[in-house]
Formats: sequence, C-alpha cells, structure tokens
Amino acid sequence: MRLLKFFVPVFLSIILIVLDTRFSYLDNFKRFTLTLLSPIYVIVDLPSQVIDWVNDKGADNDTLISENDYLKGQLVELKVRLQGYNNLALENQKMSKLLDSSYKIPNHDAKLAHVKSISQSRLSKKIIIGKGSNDGVALSQLVVGSEGAVGQIIQITPMYSTVRLLTDPTQHMPVKNSRNGIRGITKGIASSENGMIIEFVPLDSDVKVGDIFLTSGIGNLYPSGYLVGRVTSIDDTINASFLSISLQPTQNMNKLELVLIVKEKNE
Amino acid sequence: MNNTTHFFLLVKISIIAFIIGAISLPSFLELASPFWLLSFFIYWLIYSNGKSVFTSAFILGILLDVLQGGILGQNALALVLSSAFILNVKKSFFISNITTQQVYVFISTLIYLITFLLIHSLVHGFNIKWLILLSPITSAILWPLIRLLLAKLKE
Repeated sequence: MRLLKFFVPVFLSIILIVLDTRFSYLDNFKRFTLTLLSPIYVIVDLPSQVIDWVNDKGADNDTLISENDYLKGQLVELKVRLQGYNNLALENQKMSKLLDSSYKIPNHDAKLAHVKSISQSRLSKKIIIGKGSNDGVALSQLVVGSEGAVGQIIQITPMYSTVRLLTDPTQHMPVKNSRNGIRGITKGIASSENGMIIEFVPLDSDVKVGDIFLTSGIGNLYPSGYLVGRVTSIDDTINASFLSISLQPTQNMNKLELVLIVKEKNE
Repeated sequence: MNNTTHFFLLVKISIIAFIIGAISLPSFLELASPFWLLSFFIYWLIYSNGKSVFTSAFILGILLDVLQGGILGQNALALVLSSAFILNVKKSFFISNITTQQVYVFISTLIYLITFLLIHSLVHGFNIKWLILLSPITSAILWPLIRLLLAKLKE
C-alpha cells in the first residue's frame, strides 16, 4: 500500500511532464491555477509598491519640478526626432506607390508596464510585469525596452504577465540584419547573463562585427523593426553549414524598470 | 495535534515557502539559494505526523511548477522522491543532532536537484548554470535557521 502511495504520484508526475512538454492540453489548467496563486505575487510585490508610494509621497516640490522640466525637454527632443521619422515614412510610402509595391509601414499599439521584483524558476530568464489579461495583454506578444527588444509574453494572469527574455536558452526570435536583410534566429545562452547567438545564417553570408540585428516579423508573430542586438563576434570554423554569430542585446536586461508590450494594429 | 492542525501547518509553511521563493534576488544568490519548499516540507514531514505525505508533496510540487512557470511535474517529481528519502530516515532524523540533520537535508536536496536537472536537461538540453549545484550546501547550512523559524511558527 505504501509503495502504491509512492508510485502513483511518481507516475502522475511523469505523465504530466510528458503532456506538458509535448502537448498543450494543460495550458488552461496552468492559467487557472496561476490565477488562483497570483495573490502570492501581490504579497511579494507589496514591499516595492510601498517603497514606491513612500518615495512618491515624500518627493519634495523642487525635485518634482526639476524632474518635470527634464521630462519636458526629453519630450521635445523625441518629438523632433519623430518629425524626421514621419518624413521618412511619407517618403517610403511615396516610393512604394511609385514601385507599385504592396508594402505598408506597420502600425503598432503599445502598452506600458512596470517590471515587478518577482522571481520565477532559477534556470530560466524571465521577468514578471504588472499588466495582464485585464489590460488586454495576450500570449506571444513582443515586449520591448527603451533600447531594444526584451522578450515574449509566455504566461498571463489577470494582473501579471510573465516575459521570457531573449537571453533565455529556450527563447527563439526571427531576426534580420539591418544592413542587408540577412535573416537568422536568435537563441539565448544559459552560461551568459547577457548573451545570445544567431543560428541558421549560411557560411558565405555578409555579416560583420558591429552589425545590428532587428526583429524580422517573419511568421507575423512579432512586429518587425525593433532592435535586438549587436554582433560581437563571428566564427565560421565551428559549424560546417552555418556561421556562429554572437550577439550582445542592445537592451540591458538587468536594468529594466518600464517596458512596452507591442502588437501590430489590425487594419 | 490533530489532522486539521497538521493540514493548516502545511498550508502555512507552503505559502511562506512560495512567497520566499518568489522574492527576486541577485542572479547568483537566486541560483545558490535553497529549494525553500523542500526545506519547509522536510520540517513538516519530521515534526508533524501528517498523513498523505506523497500526495501532499505531489500537489505542492505542481503548485510550485505553475507558480514558477516551469515544466509541470518537474518540482512535483523531485519533491516526491526527496520526501521518500526523508520518510525512510524519519526516525533517525528526529533524534539526530543538528549536524546529522544537515547531512540528511543535504542528501535530500541533492536528490531533488538531480531530479530537477535531469528533467530540465531532457526537455531543454543540458544548459545549466553551475551555481545551482551549491543549493544542497546552502540548504544544509540554513537548515538550523529554518528549523528554528518554523518551530516558532508551529507554536
């Protein structure tokens, strides 16, 4: 009887592992259970919420005025840059019309979210953000920071979402070289906190150290054109068929406070 | 202690373990930190005569898997196997001095870690961070403190 009591949970665990890794039958169960457990996230996040609240209440008038002035300056600077971007977009549209091309500049929706100080599994690189299904966040959406792509939404509760970082070894993202459009797929490195590699780039491809890779938008899963990383080294000796390209993410994943969840607007 | 009291003690220490496990730490500390749920479950297993040990271990492991966004069943299997070891040495554990208890905690955490890494490697390939191998040592070192805190909670 005691053996039975031991072996039943063992077999059930093995069955669950197989079902979870091979199929998606358990996704609804996981989502429902995580929603039930999400008060734990609220408790863990409470101290930082209190600290933020105290900082907000304790900030003196002078600090707020100087911060406001700084932000106004930043806004003007960004608006000026945006004018240049808008001109380029108009030029691009005109050229597309002249060439009779069906290409349209993608239009993206973005939601701002705070990164929470909540930790998940120790072998994966994930962050939790303070926006969930109540705010319209959906699975697989791209998350970007001020300096580039951060990762992908992989789990949602009503108030929180889990983002798997680009530097996680199980995260893959289709990218293209901003200089010549050469495509590949990024993959994180377990041993490195902030490192990625690009796979499936043929040996004779024109890739140089310093090249910038962007999200390619292939498969329509992610919006295209967001910075992903800069090439730090290229090795053509390891693999016979493909280049081994090391990439440094443009976004520092350790200094994330605010992120944007982006999705392409439906026309 | 009746069954309800055992059950409520398990619920209390599990919630605390989940909360401590979800606190964000610097990467190296997070990797080397103990498996909190296992350490707390060992305490419940030894100092409380709760029934349905393997079922409890399985359910708590599943909840931890969901909370951590990992492979469903990974922590459950690791917790059930480690519990089996602790259950086998329960009498000896109860009467042992603190150093021997630390050795038992070290071995059970090692079983947990091996199971955990084996499943991780089978599913995602062998891409682990070496600092995680320190977790059995930190579990053993922190065991006296965990025992003390949980004894206060039990009172």
